[in-house]
Amino acid sequence: MTILLFAVVTQTTLFGRIRFIVPDLVMLVVILLALTRIRPEVILGTAFLSGLLVDLLGSSLLGLRAIVFTTVAYVALRTKERAENFRFAVALWAGIITFIGVALLVLIGTLFGQTSLLGANVASRVLVVPLANLILAGLFGPLFVRLVDGDTAALRFS
Amino acid sequence: MVNRDSRGHLLPLLVTLIIFGVLLMTFDVRLQGGGVVGVLRTGTQTIIAPVQKAASYAVNPVADVVDSLSNLSNLREENIALRRQLADAEASLVGVQDQLARLEHFEQLYGMEAAGDEIGRTVANVIGRPDAFDAALIIDKGTSDGVVVGQPVVDTNGYVVGVVKSVTPGSATIVPITADRQALTVIVGDQIGSLLSQVATDEMRLEILDARAPVLVGDRVLTSAVSASFPAGLPVGVVTEDAAPSIDVLTATVDLFVHPDTLRLVVVLAWPPDPITASSDATIPSETTTTTTETATTTTSEGGG
Repeated sequence: MTILLFAVVTQTTLFGRIRFIVPDLVMLVVILLALTRIRPEVILGTAFLSGLLVDLLGSSLLGLRAIVFTTVAYVALRTKERAENFRFAVALWAGIITFIGVALLVLIGTLFGQTSLLGANVASRVLVVPLANLILAGLFGPLFVRLVDGDTAALRFS
Repeated sequence: MVNRDSRGHLLPLLVTLIIFGVLLMTFDVRLQGGGVVGVLRTGTQTIIAPVQKAASYAVNPVADVVDSLSNLSNLREENIALRRQLADAEASLVGVQDQLARLEHFEQLYGMEAAGDEIGRTVANVIGRPDAFDAALIIDKGTSDGVVVGQPVVDTNGYVVGVVKSVTPGSATIVPITADRQALTVIVGDQIGSLLSQVATDEMRLEILDARAPVLVGDRVLTSAVSASFPAGLPVGVVTEDAAPSIDVLTATVDLFVHPDTLRLVVVLAWPPDPITASSDATIPSETTTTTTETATTTTSEGGG
């Protein structure tokens, strides 16, 4: 929860100020949690709560990101084997799942009349956010897993 | 990697959480952000806001450096333009000071006093944004600084930004007009119309339903006195294309003066001015009515006696 809170605060402050680096840090944390030893049910619950937290801090519908983050966590849990081979696989896997999440966010948001999600540069943001998450996952993904699990041998690629 | 495979239970849990999420969304739509949802939102923001404020103090220098590096060439050009503007402003300031001195002299001469209808202003720093897909701005001023839900927000030049959506004692969330689902009532020339947000662009669509004359490129769009959310006469943007009425209806595109992504400082307007006095004023007629009724009753009974 501390890491998630840190992600929420960093997302809303630091990445809220820098315009050209726009990762979705909370979504990335939710995705990377799938690679840890935390029980899958707990990960789904955490994903839902963290989505709810971001919803409560923003202006869009309550529950929108909760649904998206939960779905993203589920997809991550079902596909995590594909990310465990090498560092680039972690990055690519996180990037693709982020893209699914972002697309889902825009889709569900549009269905519920959240036109603010479709503001200027929506097409580029749908691509830039997964790309930023891909880079961050490649750089810090394995370290994050080791930190959460307290296992220095986790995700060590030879 | 430990393999505690409980994936058989995952799908029902996922479905349950999604159904719960959809219920929350429906609830939020029905309550229009108020009620329990509003209380939850305000409560969460109250808890998180101090952390965000502290974090923004720490990350602002980092963000400034990164932002400056990315805009180095733009900053140089902006710097030159700003120096030129400063010189012009200083020149006009001398003229304005002269006029103010003359105005003061005439006010003293005729014993005039200021009307006292100036709108209170609260300058606030933008401390964050929820995420890349939420255009809302989080500011560092809240109810303890006099900020109230629904108050209009402008930038430091007085251009329209948006309205206060939710507020906590130490922070508030601003929804820019580009992300607001409600139309803004504006005036172009002498025609009143509505300004609506559009998909995938910062430009807004102007609709005048009872159009009598065309609008031209460069026509200024201002907030109308009819608007319930903004004081009249605030600049919003300019018309980007000539448009003529088609069966009384005119549609045009408007480029806004403010791009919320670039804002660092905003000004919250205490509008309507002095809501406490306004609410007290509202009670005055009822008190007067009561007094009148009592007098009338007394008179009647006296007459009857």
